[in-house]
Amino acid sequence: MSSSDALPATGRSDIPVRRGGGWDLLGSEISVLFRRRRTWAMLVAVALIPVLLAVAVRLSSSTLAPGEGPPFLDRVTQNGLFVGFTAMVVAIPLFLPLTIGVVAGDTIAGEAGLGTLRYLLVAPAGRVRLLLVKYAGAALFCLVATLTLTVSGTLIGAALFPVGPVTLLSGDTISVTESLVRSLLVAAYVTVSLLGLSMIGLFISTLTDVPVGAMAATIVVSVVAQILDVIPQLSWLHPWLFSHYWLGFADLLRQPLDFSSFGQNAIVQVCYLAVFGALAYSRFVTKDILS
Amino acid sequence: MSRNSLKWLPAIVVPAVVVAAVIAVPFQAGAAVDLPDKTPEQVLLLVNDSTVSTFSGTVSQSSDLGLPTLDLSAGMTTSMQKSVTESMPEGASDVVSGTSATGALSTALELLSGSHEFRVYVGGENKSRVQIKDRMAERDVVHNGNDVWLYDSKSNAATHVSVPTDLAGTAESKFAELKSLVPTDLSTPAQVADRFLSELDPSTTVSVGTDARVAGRSVYQLVLTPKTADSLVASVSIAVDSETGLPVQVVVMAEGQSAPALQVGFTALDFAAPDADRFDFVPPADAMVTEQALPARPDHASGDHAGAQSPTAAELPRVTGSGWSSIVEVPAVAVPAELGNNPLIDQLTTGVDGGRALTTSLMTVFLATDGRVFAGAVPLAQLQAAAE
Repeated sequence: MSSSDALPATGRSDIPVRRGGGWDLLGSEISVLFRRRRTWAMLVAVALIPVLLAVAVRLSSSTLAPGEGPPFLDRVTQNGLFVGFTAMVVAIPLFLPLTIGVVAGDTIAGEAGLGTLRYLLVAPAGRVRLLLVKYAGAALFCLVATLTLTVSGTLIGAALFPVGPVTLLSGDTISVTESLVRSLLVAAYVTVSLLGLSMIGLFISTLTDVPVGAMAATIVVSVVAQILDVIPQLSWLHPWLFSHYWLGFADLLRQPLDFSSFGQNAIVQVCYLAVFGALAYSRFVTKDILS
Repeated sequence: MSRNSLKWLPAIVVPAVVVAAVIAVPFQAGAAVDLPDKTPEQVLLLVNDSTVSTFSGTVSQSSDLGLPTLDLSAGMTTSMQKSVTESMPEGASDVVSGTSATGALSTALELLSGSHEFRVYVGGENKSRVQIKDRMAERDVVHNGNDVWLYDSKSNAATHVSVPTDLAGTAESKFAELKSLVPTDLSTPAQVADRFLSELDPSTTVSVGTDARVAGRSVYQLVLTPKTADSLVASVSIAVDSETGLPVQVVVMAEGQSAPALQVGFTALDFAAPDADRFDFVPPADAMVTEQALPARPDHASGDHAGAQSPTAAELPRVTGSGWSSIVEVPAVAVPAELGNNPLIDQLTTGVDGGRALTTSLMTVFLATDGRVFAGAVPLAQLQAAAE
């Protein structure tokens, strides 16, 4: 919604810009983002979650009773493919939002803090385009982070444990190939889940010139949303919290595939994208850029 | 400056549009429906003439019984769950899911609180599958011919029950009995509608409420209102699909409560036949499989709930009163001993004159000090009076 509102405005203010300027900007943004040591450190940390889980289960002599520990953990010893799912459940509440908070909170405030925002806007980029490019970078990071988790979980699971047909929550068994497809679906689900938070982070990032503040605020927002989600008196609000469907990817592990929570999750995230996209647009285009 | 304030417009308009859409969409889904008028008899005939034998859909169930929220499955260990299961009164499973089986008993207690979502697949006679969607888990009941499979993903345990053909017969007659209480899809004679209504007449006002929309289907609402003032039940409304006659929603309202005390209904419904392999359940290779024979021998001492197939007359519950204000009395001998000293029961009930009581908005249970248990959809005072 915001982008369709915004695009004509960009078009007008950027008439002299050669076509493809936005793609160049996106390319440079992505390469800057993924060349940062901080980004790599976070991705390595994300990849370490399943590794730690798998190694701990492998070294431990005690076997878990069914249902003990995080979901699917007791299945890991029989089937390594469950490592990725367990790691995803463990990482969703705190760790993934944390990394998203760092990346999304840094988008605008980071440039402002370094004093480079001015130069980015002096170059014929346009504020809306910069905003879109920054958001695209953050969204790409969501995808890369969840894929890193999935791939690392699958690899370490396959390395340390036997791999075989996977039992779904419904008790049906699917082949290894199909389970890999489901893993990718789960990664897609979690990526979509984090898009709303990324936009909130982008908006917060336009409010301040102190990147650490924006990062912390974004993480706090994600924690607060999850706290609100467990207060029964606020049950009317729950379906509209961006974190409400975060763990709903379990529906992708049922037979037949249940896309209902995927859809609900997507609708909620789109609402957040629209609202905070509009807020970020209004704030950023009216902001006095001093640094 | 005005340029700048114009730029703030999206920040106001977009959230407003989103909020409006969020509020408006559910209203639109429940937009007024106008169906040709029907009498209660005609609606019942619609149900009776229903030929729906295959469908699949999502059922959501929520209850607001004024009970403390108990997350039984999460907070308890398996052994605790087992003890609760064993201390449940006989027959509770029949009330809840119609599948008399192990998991159903603990499910019964759990269903009393909170909300749940199910996926239901029905593929003709003797083929059905119910999936209870839990958080990060699922419980399945698969019925195919003479086989019933129960699967719990949390414990990765499967239970197989072979239903002997003759038992299936008794189950059917029992089902027919239940059916007279809650109309279900089956091809029963049309006269049943008349008889049903005339039997209800002394105790219940049957009317057709406003047409509505449930799971995208336009429905007639059959509303049963108790004539007695004693009952805690204010009304029971059954939504019947106007095209197929399949009951798609049941809402029970309690006296003095605006939110439904119990609501079970489809949120999505599809009349296409589900895949046949949906009903071919093969337990996972690593699952713990238990074979359970039915019928089991009566064995009360061990608290085996599959046991009480043929209780003696003294053990049979007695029903006093009639209609909506009837009271069920379970004699002390038939009450499992665990019920008395179960800490969970202590937590749920409050001490009252002459025993302990569990009061919900729809039902009251009174545990008399002498061990008898009284239950009914009536206020506590009536149960206490019945105990004397």
